[in-house]
Amino acid sequence: MSSTNPGTGIHHAARMFATEHLAGQMSRREFLSRATALGVTSAAAYGLIGATPVQAQSERVVPPMGGTLRIEMQVLAQKDPRTYDFTQLYNALSGVLEPLVEVRRDGSFAGLLLESWEVNDDATEYVLNLRPNVAWNNGDAFTAEDVVANFAGWCDSSVEGNSMASRLAALTDETTGKIRDGAATIVDPLTVKLTLLTSDITIIPSITEYPAVVQHRDLIGTVPSDHFVGTGAYRMAEYVVGVGAVLEKNPDHPYWRDAYLDRIEFVDLGTDPAAVVAAAEAEDIDMNYDSVGEFVEIFTAIGWEPSEIATSSTVVIRTNQEAEVDGVKPYADVRVRRALALAVDNSVLLELGYAGLGIVANNQHVGPMHPEHAELPPFEPNPEEARRLLEEAGMLDYEHELISIDDDYRRNTTDAMAAQLRDAGIKVTRKIIPGTTFWNDWTKYPFSSTNWNGRPLAVQLLALAYRTGEAWNETAFSNAEFDETLAKAMAIADHDKRREHMRRLQEIMIEEGVVVQPYWRSLYRHVRPGVLNGERHQGDIVNVHYLGLAE
Amino acid sequence: MAFFILRRVGVMLLTSLCLTFIVFFLTNLEPNLEKLAKTQGNARMTDAEVTSWLDRNGYAQPMVLRYGEWLGVLPGWTREAEDGTVTGRCIHGTVTAETAPRFCGILQLDFGQSTVFREEVSSIIGTRLGLTGILMFWVMVVMVPSALIIGVLAGMREGSRTDRALSTFSIATTATPEYVSGVIFITVFASSAVGLKWFKGSAASAMDGVTFENFTLPVLTMALYGMGYIARMTRASMAEVMTAQYIRTARLKGVSFPNIVVKHALRNALIAPFTVIMLQFPWLLTGVVIVETLFNYKGFGWTLVQAASNNDIELLLSCSVVAVFVVLVTQLISDIGYVYLNPRIRMA
Amino acid sequence: MDPLSWGAILAQMLLQFTPVWIALAVTLGISRAYKRRLGLYGKLYDSGIGIAGFTLVMFWVYTAVFANMIITHEPLTVISGMKNALPGSPMPDGHEGYGYYLLGGDNLARDVFSRMVMGAREVLKIAPAATLFAFMVGITLGLPAGYFGGFLDTALSFIANLVLAFPVILLFYLLVTPEIVATGIPTYMAAVLFLFPIAFLVVLWNARFFTQPMVRNIYVGLTLALGLWLYSGLAFNADPLGVVSMPPNVLIVFVSVVFVNAPTVFRIVRGIVLDIKTRDYVAAGQTRGEGPWYIMLWEILPNARGPLIVDFCLRIGYTTILLGTLGFFGLGVSPESPDWGSTINEGRRLLSIYPHPALPPAFALMSLVLGLNLLADGLREESLKD
Repeated sequence: MSSTNPGTGIHHAARMFATEHLAGQMSRREFLSRATALGVTSAAAYGLIGATPVQAQSERVVPPMGGTLRIEMQVLAQKDPRTYDFTQLYNALSGVLEPLVEVRRDGSFAGLLLESWEVNDDATEYVLNLRPNVAWNNGDAFTAEDVVANFAGWCDSSVEGNSMASRLAALTDETTGKIRDGAATIVDPLTVKLTLLTSDITIIPSITEYPAVVQHRDLIGTVPSDHFVGTGAYRMAEYVVGVGAVLEKNPDHPYWRDAYLDRIEFVDLGTDPAAVVAAAEAEDIDMNYDSVGEFVEIFTAIGWEPSEIATSSTVVIRTNQEAEVDGVKPYADVRVRRALALAVDNSVLLELGYAGLGIVANNQHVGPMHPEHAELPPFEPNPEEARRLLEEAGMLDYEHELISIDDDYRRNTTDAMAAQLRDAGIKVTRKIIPGTTFWNDWTKYPFSSTNWNGRPLAVQLLALAYRTGEAWNETAFSNAEFDETLAKAMAIADHDKRREHMRRLQEIMIEEGVVVQPYWRSLYRHVRPGVLNGERHQGDIVNVHYLGLAE
Repeated sequence: MAFFILRRVGVMLLTSLCLTFIVFFLTNLEPNLEKLAKTQGNARMTDAEVTSWLDRNGYAQPMVLRYGEWLGVLPGWTREAEDGTVTGRCIHGTVTAETAPRFCGILQLDFGQSTVFREEVSSIIGTRLGLTGILMFWVMVVMVPSALIIGVLAGMREGSRTDRALSTFSIATTATPEYVSGVIFITVFASSAVGLKWFKGSAASAMDGVTFENFTLPVLTMALYGMGYIARMTRASMAEVMTAQYIRTARLKGVSFPNIVVKHALRNALIAPFTVIMLQFPWLLTGVVIVETLFNYKGFGWTLVQAASNNDIELLLSCSVVAVFVVLVTQLISDIGYVYLNPRIRMA
Repeated sequence: MDPLSWGAILAQMLLQFTPVWIALAVTLGISRAYKRRLGLYGKLYDSGIGIAGFTLVMFWVYTAVFANMIITHEPLTVISGMKNALPGSPMPDGHEGYGYYLLGGDNLARDVFSRMVMGAREVLKIAPAATLFAFMVGITLGLPAGYFGGFLDTALSFIANLVLAFPVILLFYLLVTPEIVATGIPTYMAAVLFLFPIAFLVVLWNARFFTQPMVRNIYVGLTLALGLWLYSGLAFNADPLGVVSMPPNVLIVFVSVVFVNAPTVFRIVRGIVLDIKTRDYVAAGQTRGEGPWYIMLWEILPNARGPLIVDFCLRIGYTTILLGTLGFFGLGVSPESPDWGSTINEGRRLLSIYPHPALPPAFALMSLVLGLNLLADGLREESLKD
C-alpha cells in the first residue's frame, strides 16, 4: 500500500541517515523508521538507499476478496481511546477506528488518514496533509477539524490515564494542562499545521501508538463501543466483553481503500494459552494473538505457520538502592548488587523463563539492536565470587524477598532467578503481586522484576530508567559520572561518536550491578495456513483491513 | 404449612439482606475501590487520580448510603460537573438526566451496570445463567439416574460383593474433586500426549451448540463428584428399607426379589435421596465455577470469577443474590418435600 | 545415562519411600498385636475398609514426616535442561546428587516427584489443624446452643446458616485477596476464631476441677500461658519470644477454612446435644446439681464422640479438597509452594502436551482424601457396633 505520493521534498536529515545506513552504521530498519518519521514515504526512503520499491511492498500480499476470519484475542471493556492501556482495545476496533499514521513491520511509517506530512529542519513545525475523500460512517466528511479536535483531546492531561498527553508534551501548555493556543491550526480543510516550541522528532512516532486512534470531532472523550462511529471499512455487529466481538464489512460506507475480509470474529479464550491450543486443534480459530514460551513450538507442531519479530523488549530484575527493609538499605551496597548479578546465569533465565525465545542480554539494558551499542566482553556468572562478595558485605545470611507480577514469562523468569540465587547459597523468598495492584508501587519495590518495552535508541532507555531522579527510575540509581556521560552522549547525533561514551555507560551499569537484564524477547504469533498478512507486529497491532484468506 | 413457608421466606429475606450487605461491605473496602478505579481508569493512575475517579463515579459517599441506593430505598446519587453535564447512578445507556428515575435499586428490578462488561447486569446474569442451566441440566440427567441405580443396586443386598464394589466406587468419586477428575479426563480423552482424542478438552464451542464431543467431559467431571454422595445416601436408605418388616413379610409371601425391589422398596427408599439431591444444588455451584474455568465455558461460574477478580461490585452482588437464592430455595423445597413425602414428620 | 523404564521408575520410587514403609509396618504390626486394648482405634483392625483407609492416611502422614529423606532433589531447585523432562529422565552431565528426575520435570525444570512429596507436608500442615480449630469453634458454640436453646440458639443458628448460605467459592474470592489482607480483616477474624480453643480448654478445666481450686488454677494457668503465647504469635504475629508465627497468606487461608467449616460442625454438635439432652443420665446429672458446663463437657461431649470422630476424618478430607480449590484458583498460597492444588493448577496449562507434572499431585490428593473417607467409613461401621 505504498501508493502515497512523496512529500514536497526530502528532509535533509533523511539524506544524512541514508548515508549512514549505506556506510553500515545504521540498520535498514532504523533508517526506514527515522526517514519516514521525517515525512519521507517509505518508497522514497527505499529509493534513497538504492533499494527497489518492490522490496518495500513485499511486506504484504494482496489477498482475494471475501471470507471470514476468527482471531483469538482478549476482548476487553472499551474505554476512551486516549486511556487505552492494552493493544487489544485498539485491535478489536481496528476495522472501525483508524490512526493518522501507522508503523509497519519493517519499522517505517506510512500515512493512513494522513496522506503525507512535512517536517521543517529543526523539527518545530509539522504540516499534516489529510487524505482526501475519507468519510465517517455516519456520513460526515473527515476534515482538518477532526484532526485538530483529536490533538486537543490527546493533549488534555486532565483526563485520568490519558497517556497521549505525556507523549505530546511539546504541544501542551504546562500551566493549563491543555493544548497550547495555536499549537494545532487549520490551514485548509485538508491541511493542519503543528507548531512546537521545542524541537521534537517523536511527534510522528507518538501518533502511531494505539491510543492515538482518531475519533469523530464531536465524539472526543466518548467510549467507541457506545456508538462505533469511525472511518474504517467495518461495522461492529457484536461486542461482548470477555466473550467475543464481530466485525462485518459495512455495505453502506464507502471506504477509502480496499478491505478484503467480509467478517472478522474475535474470540476471547481468556489468558490460558492451553485453551487457545485446544481451540486451534478444534479448528475454532484461524489466528492466535500471542504465542508464548513452549506454545511457540506447540502451535508450530499442529501445523500452524509461525511469524516472529525480534524486539528490544526485555525484562529487568532490579534492586532499589534506596529501598529500606526493616530499617536497613540492603541494596545500597554495590557488593550486594553485583553478587546478585554474578549468581545467575542469564542463559538459564532465558531457557526457563522464556523458553529460549530471544537472545541473551548482558545486564546493561543496551543491546545489539541499538545503533550506538558498544561491544563489551560477555558477562560471566560466578557464584563463588558472588558468595565471597556477600560475605565481605556481611550479607550472606540476609533473606531477600523477590517480587514479581503474577503471569507467564515475568513470573517464570523471576522464579528461575530465585532458584539460581538459592543454588548459589543466597536466601530468597518469592512474592507475587497480581497485575491489578503490581503497578501501584512498581518503582518502589526493594527487589523485583519489571518488563520494559523497546525504544529505538539506547540513550532513550538509559535516560528514562537510570538517570538520577527520573520518574521511572526504579533502581534509585544515582551516579554523577553516569549522568554526566549520558548527557554528553545525548548531545551527539552521530552513533559512532556516541559509542565511546556508551562504552563507559555500559561499563558503569555492570560495575554498579544496577540490574540483572537476562534477555531480549522475540515475539511470536501463529496463523492457520492460508491466512494472509497476519504476521506479528512489533507493537502487537492487528489491523483487520489488511487481513485476508487465500483461496 | 402456610405459616411455615411464610416464616421461611421471612428468614430467607433477612438472610439475603445480611449476606448482600456483607458482600457490599467487602467489595467496597478501600483497597478494593482503588483496584476498581485502576482497572476502570488506567493501571498506572496516581493516588490523586484515583480519588477524583472515585468521587466522580459516586463511590465517595458513605457505604451505608450506597447500599441503600443499591437496594432502591434511597434515591440514586446525581452529580453535576463543571460543564453542566449531569451524571448519576440512574443515568446510563439511553436514560438521560431528565428521564432518569429517582430510585434505581434491586427493589425497582434495576440490578445496575457491570463495570467490567459495560452492560446491564440483568442481561449478563440472564445469558450466563442460561448457559449454566444447560450444563446443570445435563449434569442432572447424567448424575441423578446413575447415582440412584448405583445406590439401589448396592443397597438391595447389603454386604454383597456388588455392594462392596459399588460402595468403594462411590467413596472414590467423592474423594475426587472436579479439578482432579477434570485434569485426568482431559489428559486421557483429549490430549495429544495420550492420543485418544475422543472428546474436546474445551467446551467453548458448546456455548453455540452442545455436542457429544464438546460437552461430555465437563458434564462427566461435575456429575462424578456429586454422584458418590447421592449414591451412598440411596444405598443407606435402601438398605434400611430392605430390613423393614413389610419387606420381610412380602418375601415370606413368596414375592420375587426383583418385584420386591421395584414395587415395594424403591418408593420408600427414594425419600431420603430426594432431599439430598435438592441440597446438592448449592454444592454444585462451586463445581460449576471450577468446571467452567477448567473447560472454558462462559456460564454463571465464569461470570462470578470475572466479577470477583475485577471487583465488579454490582455484578458480584447480583451473583451472590442469585447464589444465595439458589441455596435457600433448594433448602426450602427440600424441607417441604421432606414433609410431604414423609408422613411421620409433622410441622408445627 | 539412559532414561529409566517405567518399571525402574516404580522400583526407584518404592525405594525412596523406604522410611515410610518401615514406619507403616511398625505402626500396623504393633497396633494389630495390641488391638484389643486400643478401644475404637483397635476395632478399626477388624474392618477391611478401615485398615485400607488408615494405611493410606498414614502413608501420607509418614511421607510428610519423612519428606526430607524421601525427596531426591530440593523442591525449588531448577536444573537447566530438565524443563518439562519426561519421567525417568537422567540429569544432564556434570550434576551431582540423585541421577534422575523420577517423575520428570515441570515447566520450571523442578523435580515433580520431590514437589509432590513436599506437597504432602504443605497439605498436612494446614488441613488437620484447621479442621481441629473448626471443631473447637463448632463445639464451643454448639454445646450451649443445643443445651440452653432459646435466644442464644436462634441467634447462633441464624449466623451459622448465614455463613452456610454463602457459596464457598464466593467467600474465598472475597476473603482471600491481597486487598482484603491489606485491610487487616483476616487478623481480626483470626483474633476472634483463635480465642475459641483457649476458651474451650479453660472452661473444660474449670468445669472439671472447680471443686479443687489448686488443681484448677494450675491447669487454667498453664492453658492460658501457653494459649496466649501461641495466640499472640499466630493471630498477630507478635510472639514476644519470636518463635511462633504464621505467614500472612497461610493465616488467611487457615482462617477462611476454619470459618467455612465451623458452622457445619456447630450444626452437627447442636443436633447431637438436642438428642442426648433428653437422656436419663443428663437428667440425673442435673438433679445431682452439676453445673451446665460440666454436664455439657464431661457428660454429653464424651457420648457424642463417635459421630464427631467420623465427621472429623471426613472433614479433613473436605478441607484438603478446599485447600486444593484455593490453590487451583491461585488464591492465598505462596507462589512457589509445592502444595497439590497449585501444582495441579500450574500443570494444567501444558496438560495436553506434558501431562506428567499435573498428574502426580492429582493422584496424591485423591488417594489422601480417599483414605480419609475409607477411614471414616470404617470408624462409623465399628462405632455403630458399640
